[in-house]
Amino acid sequence: MRPRKATQRFWRQGEPFVWASGAALALTLSMTAVLLGVVLRNGLGVFWPSPVAEVELADGTRLLGEELQTQINPDTGVESVKFKVGNMEDGPAFRWVEKRVIRKKFYPPGAFVLERLTNMNYYGTFQDLQTPGWESTTEGTPAERLDAALAAVRDQYNQVVQPLADQQAAVAEELKSRLKYQILRAEYDRKHRLAEGAAPDADAVVRLEKHLAELRADEQRLKQKSDRLTAELSEKEANLRRNVAIFRDAQGREKPIALLDIVRYTRPNQMGFGSKAAHYGAKIWELLTADPRESNQDGGLYPAIFGTVLMVFLMAATCFPLGVVAGVYLGEYAKEGPLVRLVRIAVNNLAGIPSIVYGVFGLGFFIYLIGGQFDAWFFPERVEAGEPVFGQGCILWASLTLGLLTIPVVIVSTEEALRAIPRGVREGSYALGATKLQTLWRVLVPMASPGMMTGFILAMARAAGEVAPLMLTGAVKNAPVPLDSTFPFLHPDRQFMHLGYHILDISCKSPNVEATKPMVYVTTLLLLLIVLSLSSVAIYLRSRMRKRYYMRAI
Amino acid sequence: MDKAIIRRVQRRDRIARWTITLGGVAIIVSVIAILVLIVSVTLPLFRPPRDEIVSKTALPAAFSDKEVLALGIDRVELGDRAARDSLTGYVVTQDGRFTFLDFSSRHTPSAVGQVANLSYSTRSVPGALKKTLRFVENHAGTRYSLLWSDGSASLVDAVMKPRFDESGKRSVEHELRTLAAFPPEKGPLPLQALLRAAEGGAVTCVTLLPGNRLSVVRRVSSENLLGEEETIEHRRTIEEGIPGPIRALALDGTGKTLYAGTENGCLAIWQFDAKGQIVHHEVVPAFRDKRAVTALAMVFGDVSLAVGDARGEVTVWSEVRRGDSRKLRLLHRLSQGGKGVREILPSCRKKSLLSLDGDGEIRLDYVTSQRNLLRLTGAGPIRTAGYAPRGNAAIGLGGGDELVVWKIDCPHPEVSWATLFGKVHYEGYAEPEFKWQTTGEEPKFSLVPVIFGTLKATVYAMLFAVPLALFGAVYVSYFTSPGWKNTIKPVVEIMAALPSVVIGFLILLWFAPLLGRWIVAVFTAMVTIPFVFFLFLLAWQGVRKLHWAKRVEHGYEFLVLVPVMVAGAGLACAAAGPLERWLFRSYHGMFTEWLFQVTQKPYEQLNSLAVAFGLGFAVIPIIFSISEDSLSNIPYSLTAASQALGASRWQTLWRIILPSASPGIFAAVMIGFGRAVGETMIVFMAAGNAPLLDISPFNGFRTLSANIAVEIPEAPVGGTLYRVLFLCAVILFVMTFLLNTVAEVVRQRLRKRFGQY
Repeated sequence: MRPRKATQRFWRQGEPFVWASGAALALTLSMTAVLLGVVLRNGLGVFWPSPVAEVELADGTRLLGEELQTQINPDTGVESVKFKVGNMEDGPAFRWVEKRVIRKKFYPPGAFVLERLTNMNYYGTFQDLQTPGWESTTEGTPAERLDAALAAVRDQYNQVVQPLADQQAAVAEELKSRLKYQILRAEYDRKHRLAEGAAPDADAVVRLEKHLAELRADEQRLKQKSDRLTAELSEKEANLRRNVAIFRDAQGREKPIALLDIVRYTRPNQMGFGSKAAHYGAKIWELLTADPRESNQDGGLYPAIFGTVLMVFLMAATCFPLGVVAGVYLGEYAKEGPLVRLVRIAVNNLAGIPSIVYGVFGLGFFIYLIGGQFDAWFFPERVEAGEPVFGQGCILWASLTLGLLTIPVVIVSTEEALRAIPRGVREGSYALGATKLQTLWRVLVPMASPGMMTGFILAMARAAGEVAPLMLTGAVKNAPVPLDSTFPFLHPDRQFMHLGYHILDISCKSPNVEATKPMVYVTTLLLLLIVLSLSSVAIYLRSRMRKRYYMRAI
Repeated sequence: MDKAIIRRVQRRDRIARWTITLGGVAIIVSVIAILVLIVSVTLPLFRPPRDEIVSKTALPAAFSDKEVLALGIDRVELGDRAARDSLTGYVVTQDGRFTFLDFSSRHTPSAVGQVANLSYSTRSVPGALKKTLRFVENHAGTRYSLLWSDGSASLVDAVMKPRFDESGKRSVEHELRTLAAFPPEKGPLPLQALLRAAEGGAVTCVTLLPGNRLSVVRRVSSENLLGEEETIEHRRTIEEGIPGPIRALALDGTGKTLYAGTENGCLAIWQFDAKGQIVHHEVVPAFRDKRAVTALAMVFGDVSLAVGDARGEVTVWSEVRRGDSRKLRLLHRLSQGGKGVREILPSCRKKSLLSLDGDGEIRLDYVTSQRNLLRLTGAGPIRTAGYAPRGNAAIGLGGGDELVVWKIDCPHPEVSWATLFGKVHYEGYAEPEFKWQTTGEEPKFSLVPVIFGTLKATVYAMLFAVPLALFGAVYVSYFTSPGWKNTIKPVVEIMAALPSVVIGFLILLWFAPLLGRWIVAVFTAMVTIPFVFFLFLLAWQGVRKLHWAKRVEHGYEFLVLVPVMVAGAGLACAAAGPLERWLFRSYHGMFTEWLFQVTQKPYEQLNSLAVAFGLGFAVIPIIFSISEDSLSNIPYSLTAASQALGASRWQTLWRIILPSASPGIFAAVMIGFGRAVGETMIVFMAAGNAPLLDISPFNGFRTLSANIAVEIPEAPVGGTLYRVLFLCAVILFVMTFLLNTVAEVVRQRLRKRFGQY
């Protein structure tokens, strides 16, 4: 009797609904977990060396490569294994192999994986070295010999080629960025003088022409120098390139690979945990410090990380002071009334305006209006040559656009932090004779600082993860770091790389999605790390602050 | 205290007050100025076209005794200032002269160049210089078919070549280039001659002969086996199949399609192949009232035909495909005027038409948008008119031999409310449609598919997100323990910070392919998960008698339910395969095959379902945390009172808490809706971006935001597309602003109501 009554009560009191709401929460949380799990699983494993399998198929062909997954091939509908076989020069880098045609599978201990500058990884076994550039030993294990040869070639590169390359780059830079624009300017000035009606033999025109002639001579000289350097460089490089290591692939074809092209090699089937970990560390280091290579499929993310951080800081430098001023005005100075209420609604509202609208605004206002006007005043010659300075997307406009996007967050959090301070504190301060500014500066701002800080960090997290406005205001797939050794060192007029845009670019616009997938996951992991740690800090700060004021209010 | 110090402190205070007030107001004003700027970019779309008479002079005396047969004008806009424009006109007189006039300076035009009697070749009989022009026809802006008094015909191009000198000053060089010439034929003198030189070198000459006959000569040059140039002439006379006395003729740029308009209101069309054979012929009784067709012209793009009739109406006709048959059909009715259209001149850049009617009035119409752009007035009745190839100027010869030049400023004629939001019958379509397609000669700017895509994405996403988020929020705020609440809430808030590009890429590269394989499992899960849940609840009745199980019912239910949900999903996956094979056994056991057979549309991998999951996932945290906030803000005294009266925890929630918090929950849903409407990256990456008007969840769509992201990199600044994309941004802005404002007002009310507790 009793149990039935309990059961009846369970249904009548609506307990199943409670359970159903619990189920909704369980579903949401498990989906989040799955999503993060997918990113972690795919992102963390990218750099861990995976074993290299050699497979013999029913028709006698052999494959050497990393086994990626086993599933129904979506194109054929047969259960197949996907191998990454690299060696792009010989065919596709990924191969689906039907599971039933695999006759034999083993892990050859001598298999090498070469990371190369082009054509993806090479999988094969070491055969010999051919180094006309120096005497190489025939003693030792393949790894030792290869190590020695790689060290030697790098040595020679650093001694012979690198200085030349640096010189060449400097000359090219001088030509491209300084002289070219000086010539453009002089030409433009001369044209304008003539158009304004100056006689061709007027002093100013003659002077300009002389200047122009000098510049052109300079350009000629530098061009010759650059050509000479380029020729020398390519000759030296070709010389070095003659030093090759000969590898043999699974089919038995021998292939000479220039030592210069080999970034690093691994022999995953022989590696222990320690060496795998070391390799992992080296790859992470490369990720953080090196430039991307192989059309963003491999290499590092340094320019993207730098671009993201620099953009966020530029954004912070412009948006935080302004946001705080506006927040202080709304919280402390503005008289409560319908207008202020309206403004408050508007500001709250702005936080919900789609980011692409801000991007459109940035494009129309910053780039075409402000940037275009600025260029018309200061760089008319470059506008005419079709190379606007500020009239195109650049890191300055991108960060200002994001500043606008995040300013509501800062305003709202500043205002709320100020309003959370009990009125007694202000009255106490006034009673002691402090002015409004003194109260604000000495009492209120220090007390509200954790709240404001939360706003700052949330704004930074939002800015770091936002991509839509950047597509329109200056993020590109490949650009150098906008900070270098030429004046004015920080170049706000340059386009830049961004982690989020990088994800978009290599996942949507890459011709070889399969090859870029690992890199997308790694980039995602990095971006998530930045954004989620920033917002966790903000949320932690906020919860602490809430506790503090809760206590005080009592 | 020291008075100086006090003064200083007070001064600083005043300065601070002013700066902060000024700064605060300025920032708020400038932030609000965003909308103003975006709107201001779109305004030129709706600005009415303007015309301005830039020159009004008597025809130079040299022309007084010659009849003017045609006029032409060319305006090149150089820079922003209209004063810098280059305006060159020309007059074609009966003696076969083209006289070029410079209108750039506002003074009397000076004849800057003359090209004397055009003789088509040296073979001309002695006395050719005494020939006069019988008929002139203009097409492709500057090309003129000339029919001479001796029956010969020639095609000339009035070329204006700009030149820049050292200082960047611009001057124009004039040249008349003869592209083709036909010697006089035996027999009666033709009445009209139309000549076309196609790109491949084929030349066509259509002449209207007395007795309502047409003669078609097609001259094709080709290289023979020896590499020599060979010219073959194909001749044909058309006497039959002409529905009535021909009043007007039109020939397309390739010379392969000929239209004729007759006295009794019929249109006839002939299509020729490369050798001049008729491959298609059709007669359409165009007007029921049999009004005469008085003028014909090809609209820019050479697909549609503009027809002017005796009632002064201009209509546009185009061939429409219906199944296998083609039929000339009326597409657009343009403006109506006075006595009968004398002449129709098309622009060469856009689908705008200039028509001159019997009352001497010039009208400008745009075909696609059916807008009557302008009526050019201010010069009395016009006898002859010319239209600039760029469509930005017109010239007319008034009654008193007065030469008038208009500048026409109408940058966006293709846009009107009707083209943006209504159905338009575009060239080549069977019927009026909503269409977004910005490439091609007739850009289609209907925003309906894009707005539809936005709503489709949002509605599908909300269907997925709202139940999960609301139920989750209810559970977290009312049924779980405070410890869990303080853990879950921050986790969900961190989820809100998840960059949307990450979700977009996961949907694109991971989820969409997975969904393609497990699509049946997703539908199966909708049954199995509730089923397993129900089974679990039944089983739970047995377990809950145990002591430890009692504790689960104090806020740990969701933990127990995680494996239950996983089991439900697992069951769905296991059952999906056999189920799919059985259900669709007559379709190779494949759902996608069945879908294709039934709907005739393939399953697209990047589809609405996949995007709905991603978009839903992006808005769940927002809806969750706002509704959780509003639920938690309901004073505890209400709960306590309700439970003291014996209500269960669900009854309390359902009857007491939810009604009180409903405005807040409404606000949460609104804000989530707004976020989904504006979300860009997920839809941009994973929705395929095809602007379809289709409700099916198995194909893609394009939203307003993705539309901006897709198109704006290719949109020239200040162009129509650029401004229409800004209009998309305005629509997004307004939509989200309305949603957010409603939500904000509701929330503030709620805060006021429960602020007293």
